[in-house]
Amino acid sequence: MHIVKQLMAIPGVIAAGEYAYRGDRFSYEGALTEEFARMASIVCRANTLSVNMQAEIFDSFAENCGYRPIQGWIARGSQLTVCAVGNYFSFIENRDELLNDVMTIMRAKVGDVQDDLLVNLYARLGGDTKEALY
Amino acid sequence: MDLEKMMELPGALAAFTYSDKGDLQSHVLREGTELTPLVLDLLARSCVANLAIASMEGHGWEALTGQSGFQPLKGFSVVGLEWSVVVNGNCGVVVKNRDADYEATFNAVQTT
Repeated sequence: MHIVKQLMAIPGVIAAGEYAYRGDRFSYEGALTEEFARMASIVCRANTLSVNMQAEIFDSFAENCGYRPIQGWIARGSQLTVCAVGNYFSFIENRDELLNDVMTIMRAKVGDVQDDLLVNLYARLGGDTKEALY
Repeated sequence: MDLEKMMELPGALAAFTYSDKGDLQSHVLREGTELTPLVLDLLARSCVANLAIASMEGHGWEALTGQSGFQPLKGFSVVGLEWSVVVNGNCGVVVKNRDADYEATFNAVQTT
């Protein structure tokens, strides 16, 4: 089953989606408008780039310490949490054990993000992104 | 802040506190871990930045969409290859991914 569909089947998951690393495409399911999903994709991509940049700096001080490549990030709000793993994101309610379940599924289904994340972020210019990613 | 208690979290490798500017103030490291005080200091600085960015994004998201539930921010975590760092306020915990209980770790950084 596709990751987004699998996430949306879990009670408490508000929305889930996928964005292209180059930033021009996204797809989603759940309680977001098209425009809000576009904004969410931009935010998630920007944060992913940011934490990867930090990890590269980090790596120059502590090589192979287990931080890089970054797999994702979590922003915990008062009632909602945003989880991003690879190029997938999910908006979830703060319910008992939901965050652990969602992170387990996202990590398992997306798999380990490899060292070429930044290459994907920048280098896949031209061609059909959808075709390249699916 | 009871760093020793935070070290009881599943998979905890380190617990630390930092100033508002990200200076490492106190820390506890699990014996045998490759993490060092220098690494934690760098981590603390990036965590301060990430918390500020996430707070700004949450605030902007709520204002723009009318959707509430992000403010106040309750923490931020970066998931690395082998370990994750979970921070909130002025303290953080590094946990091994394979043992991590993110719920419990976020809860722990709320109460300290």
